[in-house]
Amino acid sequence: MVIAGIPETLDVIFLFSRGPWWQSLHRTMLRGILGKTFRLVGYTIQYACIAHCAFEYVGGVVMCSGPSMEPTIQNSDIVCAENLSRHFYGIQRGDIVIAKSPSDPKSNICKRVIGLEGDKILTSRPSDFFKSHNYVPTGHVWLEGDNLQNSTDSRYYGPVPYGLIRGRIFFKIWPLSDFGFLRDSPNGHRSPGD
Amino acid sequence: MTAGMAQSQGWVTRYFKAFCKGFFVAVPVAVTFLDRVACVARVEGASMQPSLNPGGSQSSDVVLLNHWKVRNFEVQRGDIVSLVSPKNPEQKIIKRVIALEGDIVKTIGHKNRYVKVPRGHIWVEGDHHGHSFDSNSFGPVSLGLLHAHATHILWPPERWQKLESVLPPERLPVQSEKESLHGSP
Repeated sequence: MVIAGIPETLDVIFLFSRGPWWQSLHRTMLRGILGKTFRLVGYTIQYACIAHCAFEYVGGVVMCSGPSMEPTIQNSDIVCAENLSRHFYGIQRGDIVIAKSPSDPKSNICKRVIGLEGDKILTSRPSDFFKSHNYVPTGHVWLEGDNLQNSTDSRYYGPVPYGLIRGRIFFKIWPLSDFGFLRDSPNGHRSPGD
Repeated sequence: MTAGMAQSQGWVTRYFKAFCKGFFVAVPVAVTFLDRVACVARVEGASMQPSLNPGGSQSSDVVLLNHWKVRNFEVQRGDIVSLVSPKNPEQKIIKRVIALEGDIVKTIGHKNRYVKVPRGHIWVEGDHHGHSFDSNSFGPVSLGLLHAHATHILWPPERWQKLESVLPPERLPVQSEKESLHGSP
């Protein structure tokens, strides 16, 4: 006997947990509503686990809200995110990433990576006379939104630990007028030395 | 002869199909279970002595890590938790939660004497002060880095026990915003 899936497994466990008196009842009941419920639960668990593995290790489709990444990503755009770069530590400067918010772990933020660990970041405004720099600590990244006037990002809450990054956004699928790979930052390069 | 060969080929194909079906069920379910429900890990290092690894490198404790308990990022002061290291994302560290968001901690060896834990962050410390790379070195950590809650020691068998969520009295926060569920002062 080969056990092929969770519904079949649940069937077998149910069958063997009862004695012979129940087997005649099993034949009538299990083929009815109880059997259908078990099969539904089994398939739900199976597909939920496959979905979890796909979203966690491969990628998925995400809807972004908020103005902080305009004009690259507008409010209510739908984009594709992939998680392979994060697992293989291949995130680079200029990538747009989804990360858990440092101040609220249940919500996600969508920003561009401006600096990796060890980079020198210009943190003063262009209008300031005295320029101030900060170094990005080890294990952290510096995130900024493309819409600098309207974005709370690393300029507000500091460098973000790499462990909070969940995936890299690389493709936009909605609206169709903007379908395709995402543009480079409109703000040019922000780290000194360019 | 041909009938026998056809029968054995049919058996192999059926077995292969059943194996594939089982594989695509068993692997995602196992991976999801280990990611979302619970897993097991060996503790290395001396930063949590004497609670974990009292024997040093001779015998490493193996602990049960419970992901399900922290699925909503709810932790209490005194919990032993595992988290992604803020300084090295490839590594996981295991420490005790000393303070929650809003608390003011008196630090040991940090550049500031008193630190207020920001929103969405926690303050973690190893039990072996001085031999621990913890919040006294890298400051408060974001709750998003939380990995699991260590609930039991599973190995070696003589150290089989439930890990208690106890906060050493000298490490109580100076001021707390959130009330602890255990009703400690």
